[in-house]
Amino acid sequence: MARKTALKVFAAVLGLGVLMACSLISPEASFARTHPQELGAGRPVCSECHTTDVSKGALKPYAAFDHTVGFVKDHRFQANQDNNTCASCHAQSFCSDCHGGKAPMKPAIRLSDRPDRAAPHRGEYMTLHRIEGKMDPSSCFKCHGRANNDKCQACHR
Amino acid sequence: MKRHTHVALIATLMSATAWGQEVSLYGTTMAQMWKSEDPGFNKATFTPATQYLGIDATKLGSDNLSLHLFGWGKTDLSDSTNFDGTKTAGYLNYGYLQYQFSKANAEIKAGRFTTNQSTGFEQVDGVSARTDLRGGFTLSGFAGKPVIYKAGDLAHLSGSAAQHNYDFQRDVIFGTRLGWRPSTTGEIGVSYLQDGSKMAKDLTIPQPVDYTRRQLGLDLTYVPATFLDFRGRTIYDVANQRSNIAENDYTATVKLGSQVSVAGNYAERNFLYYYAGTNLPSLFRQTDNDRFKGWGGNVTWNAPLSIQLVADYRHTHRETYGDVNKVGGELRWANADKTLLVGASGHVANAAKTLVVDSAAPFRSLSYGEARAWTMVTKGKFTASLDGILQKYRASNPYLNGLKNLYEVVGSLGYEVTKNVKVSGDLSHATTAVSKNETRGLLRAEYRFGMASKGGR
Repeated sequence: MARKTALKVFAAVLGLGVLMACSLISPEASFARTHPQELGAGRPVCSECHTTDVSKGALKPYAAFDHTVGFVKDHRFQANQDNNTCASCHAQSFCSDCHGGKAPMKPAIRLSDRPDRAAPHRGEYMTLHRIEGKMDPSSCFKCHGRANNDKCQACHR
Repeated sequence: MKRHTHVALIATLMSATAWGQEVSLYGTTMAQMWKSEDPGFNKATFTPATQYLGIDATKLGSDNLSLHLFGWGKTDLSDSTNFDGTKTAGYLNYGYLQYQFSKANAEIKAGRFTTNQSTGFEQVDGVSARTDLRGGFTLSGFAGKPVIYKAGDLAHLSGSAAQHNYDFQRDVIFGTRLGWRPSTTGEIGVSYLQDGSKMAKDLTIPQPVDYTRRQLGLDLTYVPATFLDFRGRTIYDVANQRSNIAENDYTATVKLGSQVSVAGNYAERNFLYYYAGTNLPSLFRQTDNDRFKGWGGNVTWNAPLSIQLVADYRHTHRETYGDVNKVGGELRWANADKTLLVGASGHVANAAKTLVVDSAAPFRSLSYGEARAWTMVTKGKFTASLDGILQKYRASNPYLNGLKNLYEVVGSLGYEVTKNVKVSGDLSHATTAVSKNETRGLLRAEYRFGMASKGGR
């Protein structure tokens, strides 16, 4: 009898919890899955068109997505908070060009026919890494700290 | 994950694409060739053939359900490019089912995916979900088994023992983030990440190095007006008794009118906490008890006539190596229809105050300069590009075998066979600190079939 009562109470609490959780979910429509306009080659400046009120639409501060040199080098905060904005133009495989976890060649070789694209380690980086790795090894850690490091282990044992 | 589990997962996911009403397939086939005559090593000829393949299948029975796969395979047609001497390799970068709800930006993923919802950038075999909540809140989370890579040797362990210890401790990974976005002023988020539930002391033979991570994150975006954006994060390591801040990284961007933006960044990392969870402890040494600080900024001017000018400066300080000042600039130009693109950049790193390079050769200079120029042309179905980089080092640098200037030149020619198929060939010539001259050839075939408007871009 006590078990039945406990189960009923549990079911009621679970039901209320689900209802409450559902009522907490935003009723707003989701962000557009694909950008409605073709953007063409090169780095887009989002704020050229999305100029005015950040309180409209999906509440995104579009100027932060302008593909400036600074954005291309350090876009992790935007990707962290608004990856559905990235996904409106980029497939996941675009990220894997650099963030693959395990890659058969460095991005600069894979993209050697696209000098306009930012690709880590252009040029003879085997030499330069001995210098930049001493200046700031934490910049290496982002990609090679737990993945993409088979070749690192050939020397760094 | 074991090989047969991999095969079963991929076969299941691949067969699911048959249900898709919109299926895109994109791939790149690459064949490379170069010869090596490095001093101290045998002569070798390398001809690896690499295949990248991606599939996006959408509308799998429902408009909201989709499947995404991407991976690569490689085989060596002559000498091995793998350090273990094997001639084949392959990897599934991601393979997941995704359900995107039409409201609240809600989505669920299951399979292998990368996630950056919390403090890290993680590759997970598991599930993830996110949704917007009322009142400007967002909630996301993921859980599963971490994708584990080969662990580096510890000084006192053989490779297999290090791998065993690593696998043992990283048995599970999960993370969550709760964010709040007031209507016009940005967003604040709190996140938690736990990677592994067992500590090094739980091993049969307890070890001194823990691979587990427990991190608390605070991220902030402040946008009081459209011309000002301030964002960044603080990561707090809570895995051990000496809990402390692992990272502070904050950037402010100001747009001056429609053409100029100015950005400034401050970053600080404490290696003891920041390197938690590394599988290469011999390189990313927590025991160094070292710290890094850096600050700098850049100015970008989107000038008339499709010219973009960038100037940047960064000052870095590492406790064991001293100060570095790096300054440079970049220019880009494109014609009206973007069939001709040109770029040039130059940077100088001055590390005159470097304290120690290594114990055998202290007070050597880390200073260097780098210059790069490139161009890309499209004419009808033909494309061509040329990219040259020159790196200039101080003569006193101990790593260059007497060389002072290193360069690399890459030329590429491509032909668009159809709208969805392109072939290209690259030839590169370089000097390196090991090989005085190095010439490489590369053939590339890219293709894309399907209906989706993106995929691979």
